Amino acid sequence: MAKRRDVLKAGAVAVASTPAIFGGAAIPRAAQAQLCRPEGIRSPLTEPDSPPVRHYHEPLYITPAMSEVDPATLSPPPDPNRHQRYDEFQPVKHYVQRMTEGLWNYHEDLSVLNPLGFGSLAWMFNGATPGETLVARYGEPVFIRRYNDLPMTEDALIPFGLPYTTLHLHNAHTASESDGWPGDFVGPGEYWDHHHAMMYARNDPNEALASLWYHDHMLDFTATNVYAGLSAMATFYDDIDSGDENDPNPDALRLPGTYGKYDVSIILHDVRFDQFGNPAYNVFDTDGHLGDLITVNRKVSPYLEVEPRKYRFRIYDGGPSRFYELGLADESEMFVICNDGNLLEEPVSVTSIVLGPANRHDVIIDFSRYSVGQSVNLLNIMEQVNGQGPTGRRLEGPDRMPVMQFRIKPLEGPDNSRIPDFMRKLPHVNLNEVVAEREWVFDHDMGLWTINHEFMDPTKVSAAPRQGTAEIWTFRNAGTSWAHPVHVHFEEFQVLEWNGRPPTGVLRSRKDVATLGPGDSARVFYRFDDFLGRYPIHCHNNVHEDNAMMARWDIIPNGGDDDD
Amino acid sequence: MKKTTRRTFLASAAAAIPAVATAAVAPGAVKDNPAFKTCPRARGGKNASRFPQVIVQDQHKEKAWFYEDLIADKVVLVSFTSVKGEKYYPLLSNLVKVHEMIEDRIGKEVQMYTVTTDPYHDTPEDLKALAEKHGARWRFLTGAPEDIREILASFNARGSLYALSWIGNEKTGRWMNKPSRLQPLFITEAVGRLSTGKQHKPFLVDDHSV
Ligand SMILES: [Cu+2]
Repeated sequence: MAKRRDVLKAGAVAVASTPAIFGGAAIPRAAQAQLCRPEGIRSPLTEPDSPPVRHYHEPLYITPAMSEVDPATLSPPPDPNRHQRYDEFQPVKHYVQRMTEGLWNYHEDLSVLNPLGFGSLAWMFNGATPGETLVARYGEPVFIRRYNDLPMTEDALIPFGLPYTTLHLHNAHTASESDGWPGDFVGPGEYWDHHHAMMYARNDPNEALASLWYHDHMLDFTATNVYAGLSAMATFYDDIDSGDENDPNPDALRLPGTYGKYDVSIILHDVRFDQFGNPAYNVFDTDGHLGDLITVNRKVSPYLEVEPRKYRFRIYDGGPSRFYELGLADESEMFVICNDGNLLEEPVSVTSIVLGPANRHDVIIDFSRYSVGQSVNLLNIMEQVNGQGPTGRRLEGPDRMPVMQFRIKPLEGPDNSRIPDFMRKLPHVNLNEVVAEREWVFDHDMGLWTINHEFMDPTKVSAAPRQGTAEIWTFRNAGTSWAHPVHVHFEEFQVLEWNGRPPTGVLRSRKDVATLGPGDSARVFYRFDDFLGRYPIHCHNNVHEDNAMMARWDIIPNGGDDDD
Repeated sequence: MKKTTRRTFLASAAAAIPAVATAAVAPGAVKDNPAFKTCPRARGGKNASRFPQVIVQDQHKEKAWFYEDLIADKVVLVSFTSVKGEKYYPLLSNLVKVHEMIEDRIGKEVQMYTVTTDPYHDTPEDLKALAEKHGARWRFLTGAPEDIREILASFNARGSLYALSWIGNEKTGRWMNKPSRLQPLFITEAVGRLSTGKQHKPFLVDDHSV
């Protein structure tokens, strides 16, 4: 066979006589196209399938609570000067996390395929993904030191993502420097300190947050780094939502409790695996990324043994791009008690819940209607064929995607938990406090994802609300076929109008993600208090986020310079 | 972690690919035609199989295999425009500023290419004129329309206007993109971020909190 250089010379000669045809005259174009159609031209429908796995084969991984470290062992010690209000909220609990690359057993059938050893490649916290849950309590400030012990890029085995990390505690009311600003990343060998004051926003207990998560927020690499494994959950308790179903406090809600037992956090990530059982990712598809297997706490369609009693499940959509409608196979009742992890005023009875990326719902499922030995599956019935968003159709019969299985085992003791009629009052909205209205338009143009026709520039301040004020923000999806889960850091909102109508049911709530379908708009109420600094607003389809669908806004001191 | 070296893992990964690719090879005549490389596609590159194995031509009529010669084992900055597209959505003046910032690395550690989105009209001469008009001193690529369309498709570039620039390091297999009209500093920063060794720069403007 001719050497490549010779081929090029021959081609050059040929071009002289047959312009615009690079030596291809002898072959019909169609044949050439068939010959070397690259894998690169892939659509979500032609992505290679994951290797076959047995569903409901792996037990659910229940993420343990983080374990405290002695602050005296932190070297160097925490630097109070780099945290807002550190002296007021001195940490009482200290944690250390190390991020590493290693192998994680997503599923036995995938793990055995890997020539590296048993498991699938993953980026992990303290050796696991999801990392340990931050189980915290209001009034008990937290300090977390996170070391990036990932390999340098050239040594990383995971073939996507960048081993530079910044960790965002999603939904938390946290000072900017501990929030996981996308520019606050550290590389291999470095660490970053996070201080969470564990204060209610505005010191109002009605602002309590319940089900949060932490995840990587690296500029341009959030989708891939989270996909590689850098996400985990957080549970905040307080006096009434105390995690204790036997709580003697007369005001306690006594929701199904004890973290990890009857109060179970589950995060969904849809993952596609390659022939060696490692996560696969197509970075060239800027619409989004869909996995073909649903993982729950990074186990592929696992099972959980449950007692015939009430459980609280905190269900998270960990992204990057998949929307879910989740229901039990027998379409039986669940009670939604939280939207985006925050208690509703009243439980809402449903047979399915809809989640966009980063959305959370806490539901109570009462398994006492089943008998020991029975099982019931949790299924996804939302059809989605690409990363842009759902098609609007529902999956039926065998097309429904397995998520997890509950297997009923004998009751171990009395179920003293309750589904209260009333939980937590929504914080007061006083529209007279509103000093400004802003609109954020999410759109797509020539391959670009934009907010207000601009793309992420971390040096540009797109809005600068004053501390101590309130504003009305409108999020509008100007696209015709895309869905955008809009997320704003630091503060959560209450919906005033959704597509022009006041919210009802589960939408009458405090939220941090507004999942907008094509043409949707949400008008919401915000207040800006307690801390200063820069925060992002972005699409939480992380693939859109990484494709510059993000903007910076700052909370500035009241009385400071007006740069609107 | 089991003691399997990375090299044996990669070797086993590479070994598995040809079996699939070979199945697609048409017999006889095609293989013998010196103008074509036969499948399997180029080996060794982390994303070799993603890119079409086609010949492109730059504004000086120099020819190259798109992946093997221009992408494999390199840090690259690939943008997309056309003579016509530049009228509706000009990118080149911004990319010229990027070029100025990485000029000392161009042709050595970093390669910069602009692929035409209009191969039906843009000849090498047209692209030469376009580049000279903007003072753009990097390689502008055109080729047989079907080939260029495959290149565009491999970058998910649809339509005649495509406003993303792709930055890749095929030594590490990492790719990212930036809007071609973003502040040139941030496009340059992406090149530094994906570079390896002493050229790696996680940021050009330190954006970190205290
Ligand atoms: Cu989006």
